[in-house]
Amino acid sequence: MDEKDIIGKIEKKFGIKGRIFRERRISVKTESDGLIDLCRYLKGLGFGHLSTVSVTDFIGDGEYEILYFLWSYRDDLALIARTRISREEPSMDSVSGIWEEAQIHERELHELFGVEFRGNPDLSGLFLEGWDQKPPFRKDFDWREYVRRKYYRNDGRERGYFEVEK
Amino acid sequence: MMIMEDAKKLKRLVKSVWVFNWFNSCGFTEILPVVGSRWDMERFGMIPVASPRHADCLIIAGYQTEKSIRRAQRIYRQMPKPAVVIGLGSCSMSGGMYWDSYNTIKRLSDYIPVDLYIPGCPPRPEAIFGGIMKIVQKVKGNG
Repeated sequence: MDEKDIIGKIEKKFGIKGRIFRERRISVKTESDGLIDLCRYLKGLGFGHLSTVSVTDFIGDGEYEILYFLWSYRDDLALIARTRISREEPSMDSVSGIWEEAQIHERELHELFGVEFRGNPDLSGLFLEGWDQKPPFRKDFDWREYVRRKYYRNDGRERGYFEVEK
Repeated sequence: MMIMEDAKKLKRLVKSVWVFNWFNSCGFTEILPVVGSRWDMERFGMIPVASPRHADCLIIAGYQTEKSIRRAQRIYRQMPKPAVVIGLGSCSMSGGMYWDSYNTIKRLSDYIPVDLYIPGCPPRPEAIFGGIMKIVQKVKGNG
């Protein structure tokens, strides 16, 4: 199958118009509640590999865009499935039941953007330890102010000083 | 004469500096030429050891995250004292290019007692050897 066949199949099944934005690169935009069905169908079409999941923070629109980067080894095609969710209460169905490798990507996005992936078995912390602020990759997180308060205080040392045994 | 002999014997007791490397940033690529055959740190007796319990010197390279600095502190506790800690590169001194990162510590000596900083981004192997020589002189008592 080539790009046009896949776009035609998706349009026939879901009524969504895909777009070829480059040679062998397809972009499909969908509503957030229809994404799981689309993903399941795409896996049946041969998109067996989920490269990564990514979130973009569109703070002006009040929305997160979630992108799923898929690759088909059968047809040598890349497909980006994208959907938008509200950024106030970000919540999304997990695709870790379809592609097992989605689990760690969703765990990371949960930590960095605060997206709640429903159905993901483990969304515990990954990189940040003892983090009590809002997720750091949100655009309204003032990281420079946070760094100034936490690390560049005028009263001397940072917290966590290791006392030497004498 | 006898005293001289004793001093010679004592000097022989000063052992080589065995190094435990704690690198989780670009620092490892910077010390690789020192380990390798061109600069060859073993000619100074420096051997990278597998366990911090065998090490005299802990080299911490580059920035440490909030997560990794706890592991570094744990490694330091496991080392037999007296031990020497070397901070390698400008990131360990001031945060370097990560001066405004929300998750990296900015000054290593606020978390671990650091004996020596080797500045540079990256430090040249000659600078690393210069630092090690300072440590050796300190151990021998004439530095």
